[in-house]
Amino acid sequence: MVPIAYYLVLSALLFSIGAGAFLIKRNIITVFMSIELMLNAVNLSFVAFAYQWHAIRGQIFVFFVMVVAAAEAAVGLAIIIAVYRTRNTLNVDQIDLMKL
Amino acid sequence: MTGTSYRELLLLALPQTVVVLAGLIALALDLSLFRNSTNRVRFSAGAAIACAGSLAAGCCILLSQTHGAIQTFQNGMLLSNPLTHLIQIALLLLAVLTILLSIDSTFTDHIGEYILLILLATAGMMFLVSTEDLLLIFVSLELLSLCLYVLTGFNKHSVHSAEAALKYFLFGGMSAAFLLFGFSYLYGLSGSTNLVRIAAATEGSVMDPLLMVAIVMTVTGFGFKVAAVPFHLWSPDAYEGAPAPAAAFIASASKVASFFIFAQVMVLGFAGTAGNAGWNVRAPGWAPLVAVVAALSLVLGNVAALAQKSVKRLLAYSAIAHAGYMLLAIVSHTQQSIAALLYYVLTYALTTIGAFGVVAVVEHQTGGDKLSDFAGLSRRAPLPSMCMLVFLLSLAGIPPLAGFFGKFYLFSAALAGTTASLSLLWLVILAVAMSAVSLYYYLQVLKRIYVEQPPADAAPIQISILSQIVLCLIAAIIILLGCAPNLLLRLIQNALNAIIA
Repeated sequence: MVPIAYYLVLSALLFSIGAGAFLIKRNIITVFMSIELMLNAVNLSFVAFAYQWHAIRGQIFVFFVMVVAAAEAAVGLAIIIAVYRTRNTLNVDQIDLMKL
Repeated sequence: MTGTSYRELLLLALPQTVVVLAGLIALALDLSLFRNSTNRVRFSAGAAIACAGSLAAGCCILLSQTHGAIQTFQNGMLLSNPLTHLIQIALLLLAVLTILLSIDSTFTDHIGEYILLILLATAGMMFLVSTEDLLLIFVSLELLSLCLYVLTGFNKHSVHSAEAALKYFLFGGMSAAFLLFGFSYLYGLSGSTNLVRIAAATEGSVMDPLLMVAIVMTVTGFGFKVAAVPFHLWSPDAYEGAPAPAAAFIASASKVASFFIFAQVMVLGFAGTAGNAGWNVRAPGWAPLVAVVAALSLVLGNVAALAQKSVKRLLAYSAIAHAGYMLLAIVSHTQQSIAALLYYVLTYALTTIGAFGVVAVVEHQTGGDKLSDFAGLSRRAPLPSMCMLVFLLSLAGIPPLAGFFGKFYLFSAALAGTTASLSLLWLVILAVAMSAVSLYYYLQVLKRIYVEQPPADAAPIQISILSQIVLCLIAAIIILLGCAPNLLLRLIQNALNAIIA
């Protein structure tokens, strides 16, 4: 059996990769994908903990996260399309009309 | 686990159901019956349905209050007690005020959708404040956030609106991921998603590395939602780009719900791991972390607001500063300071919604929200100017108004509540000093309104009777609550006593 620590390390690693990509990547779609990666890292740790506790609630939580991520994708892509229509670019560096 | 009674569930969730139904009816009628009417008729009809729905939901809440005081469903998955009733009614009131203030606006042709989104967000907030389970907190927080992203980008003709929605969405999505990461560790540590059980399982193990990660991640996630420094970057852009009524809604109702649940998670879920943020009795835990966030918000919010040219942006930085004051109450987390927090956030929400209402009027007429657009407003629109005077002085904390008593009670609760005497004095002194700074930028706006001459070609501003009535009503409530704070405070304290007993 694989110890739970392995799953947690993998989950933390995926989450860090997602957070890093969120900050580094310049294409909006890629930035959006990195949020999805972070959510899936969370799913992995939920499932691992649910297995450890022999409790179903963690797995149920994962289903809710997946559904919410899908809804978020629908809203997010709509917003990205609205931005593309007005600006003709998907580069976050050029979405800079408002600044400090 | 006990069996599920759907009747009980439906009864507990009845107010939220009524709100959602009212939104769907408004959408359906807007798309069928009022399809060929003018925008003004459509907006009035939608607002009437929304008001009727909110009123019905409010009646449901009041009726359930007379039945049995405290009910829970599935171990705290859904709660019904005097405190949730009070906050839910306040949220409904704020939603109604938002809708009434947006009747005049012309930023969209999709009126049914607009009303539905506001009511869905309201339903999300009502679920958010009536639960102590991580699962429902997450789902209702996302319901609220998704509606707010769309509302931010609702003005399809504005480049700024789409950009604001994008920034709000990206930061909001990331904050949700941080929050969930914290939640997953809390679940892992306790094997439960119930806040009370999590507190029981984690009591006394502050130095557990997993718990430390969970605390930091949870504070980060909620920090984004309440726009506290250093997680505030989205908020000035979102407020500036969003249509003024949508910005008012984000700044008022969603702030109330977010602060309530932030305090609930910290006080209930991390009950045994607070630590201490006092200068002479430091102990590790979440309180020092929140204290640092509060101090940063106070300083950066107030200082950055000094340099703003756009009034909406100025209000956004002032919102960050006010988040700092309210976090101060969470740091001291006694019963008295939680009462102070609720009083503060409710009066703050009312004031902000009024201030954004005046900004919406000016923006509608002059096409901008720059400080220069407010020049000589007192001669062009005397009544809204008077209301703006009340709102801004209340935000600054000038005595006869609600904002003064909110600050006074909050600071005294923070000082009185701590175990070692005056240990939070450093944070309170900072807050008092910073609220003196804040007076400068509020008076900057008032100077434009009352002292400067209007532009030569300026005509009197046309403002509908309804908007005038709503603005005057809000101003009257703020003066009333400043003169007789006990009206609201007693309700809050009774509700808190009832759930602790």
